[in-house]
Amino acid sequence: MIKRLIHTTKRVLGLTSPGRYFDVFEDDTFIVSFPKSGNTWTRFLIANLLHPEEPATFSNIDRLIPESEGLTRSQLKRVPRPRIMKSHEYFDPRFRKVIYIVRDARDVALSQFHFYRKRRRIADDYPLEKFVTRFVAGDTSDYGSWGDNVASWLVTRQSSAGFLLLRYEDMVAHTVTELTRIAEFLGVNVTPERLAQAVERSSADQMRKLEGANATASVTKNTRQDIPFVRAAASGVWKDNLPERSVAELESAWAPLMKWLGYELALVKAVASDARVESAAPGVSAR
Amino acid sequence: MMYGIKRIAKYLLGTDIAGRQIAVRPDDTFIVSYPRSGNTWTRFLIANLLYADRRVTFANIERLIPDAEAQSNRYLKRVPGPRVIKSHQYFDHRYPRVLYVTRDPRDVALSYYNFSRKYRHIADDFPLEQYVHEFVNGTLMSSAWGTWGENVGTWIAARNGWSDFLLLRYEDMSERTEHELTKVALFFGLDPAPEKLRKAIENSSADRLRELESKEGGAWVTTKDKRSDIPFIGSAVAGKWKSKLPAASVAEIENAWGPLMTSLGYELAQPTPADPLLRDSSHLEPTLQTAHTSEKRG
Repeated sequence: MIKRLIHTTKRVLGLTSPGRYFDVFEDDTFIVSFPKSGNTWTRFLIANLLHPEEPATFSNIDRLIPESEGLTRSQLKRVPRPRIMKSHEYFDPRFRKVIYIVRDARDVALSQFHFYRKRRRIADDYPLEKFVTRFVAGDTSDYGSWGDNVASWLVTRQSSAGFLLLRYEDMVAHTVTELTRIAEFLGVNVTPERLAQAVERSSADQMRKLEGANATASVTKNTRQDIPFVRAAASGVWKDNLPERSVAELESAWAPLMKWLGYELALVKAVASDARVESAAPGVSAR
Repeated sequence: MMYGIKRIAKYLLGTDIAGRQIAVRPDDTFIVSYPRSGNTWTRFLIANLLYADRRVTFANIERLIPDAEAQSNRYLKRVPGPRVIKSHQYFDHRYPRVLYVTRDPRDVALSYYNFSRKYRHIADDFPLEQYVHEFVNGTLMSSAWGTWGENVGTWIAARNGWSDFLLLRYEDMSERTEHELTKVALFFGLDPAPEKLRKAIENSSADRLRELESKEGGAWVTTKDKRSDIPFIGSAVAGKWKSKLPAASVAEIENAWGPLMTSLGYELAQPTPADPLLRDSSHLEPTLQTAHTSEKRG
């Protein structure tokens, strides 16, 4: 009861974080992805694109592109509109404008495994295979499973004008092209110089430097410093690091979805009606 | 400075409606559907199956199978487990077991139109075509639950094929109630003996629900203080849209959700345009088709 009173008082004063139950405005834009799919990088890219006067760092990013779970209600209210916000939520009908980043589930699982070791949410010697089983079941985050998250957005919004689907892998390979698409989606006119500057200011090297300089920022606070937040920043790392059994588990859970997104399956054979899935795949990768 | 005093007071007292912020327990089962899709009927069928020795009415249904959209978390906390809870929410990953009822969106739109007039959400002479347009675009009050396509689509995309997810079509339930109720009984781990099923069906018939509504509608949380000249229990038939829905409205619904409707076995009135929509949703077809084949009428 006391706890509840303290919490309520804080809530009345707007000092608590609303978490996922925050007020959404019609002119909000959201950068959405399942965790460990390149959201922070995209956040830096967009912040650096929109605010050339103030290079993004781990300490100002929560102000430039806030997330509802990182701010209190009163802080959120003071963010100037139109807001661009970060989120990991699966489908929410109130989000009218969404940049959705998807990343190969096999790399996401691996990245989350290391992230949880950094956060000490799992022991250092926690078996990777066991982790992947929990990952597939959606037990490792509060945002649904990878498949829940991706599919819930695709089924509802993929053909809507207010939805931009990006693959992390394409962003790594063609950063300028993909960032140009983001700029168009946001309706901002930018020069090639400004694009190049944003890409440079958000490079993995630059972000690693920033992380080192700012070990107490909210994303990395109270976590092990020996495992970096900004990690490999590459795609396909799973090929050398993920046990075959885990690859098979991930692929059989989400084969049609992965194939449709253009993630080639290594072990699981295509399912019966895959002819159609295959023909749909170019729709995603071909620009 | 003050963030919704009324909401805060309600929160402190624990009387705010649970809705999406419901505290979920691992042994909960949810009856989920978009509004106007046969949820109340399903609720009565299941309550009559689970509590065969009791008379299920609008007066006690909130205790037997409470409504997450009408009750507070405080109320729901006192309901003994394992709970069976009614909900209209779009996909929520916390729901451990879900029975999902889907209905042809053309009938849902029509039923919702009459319901909105009953609730005085719209004027009595509000144009139907305009209503359907807003229904499709998610600008009605109902869009708090997503649009029809968002609600059905997210659940099917995320959960179809799971053993803890039972997908039922309202149309099948109307046409072969006993057959569909057998699946429900098995899902709840109950004995699907024909005489038990028949009794539950009889006690949940549209006629009986109408009779209960006319007697108890004034006291039930869902119909209290609402217009009584338009009944909550509608015509309870499938395919009414064919004679009542303007062609333009039918086209608008089919253009928005054609692929999803087709995969659920709702035949389109107009040939599907060779549009990118159909091609784009093909990544869901394997899932949806498996669903439909297993649910297909024999």
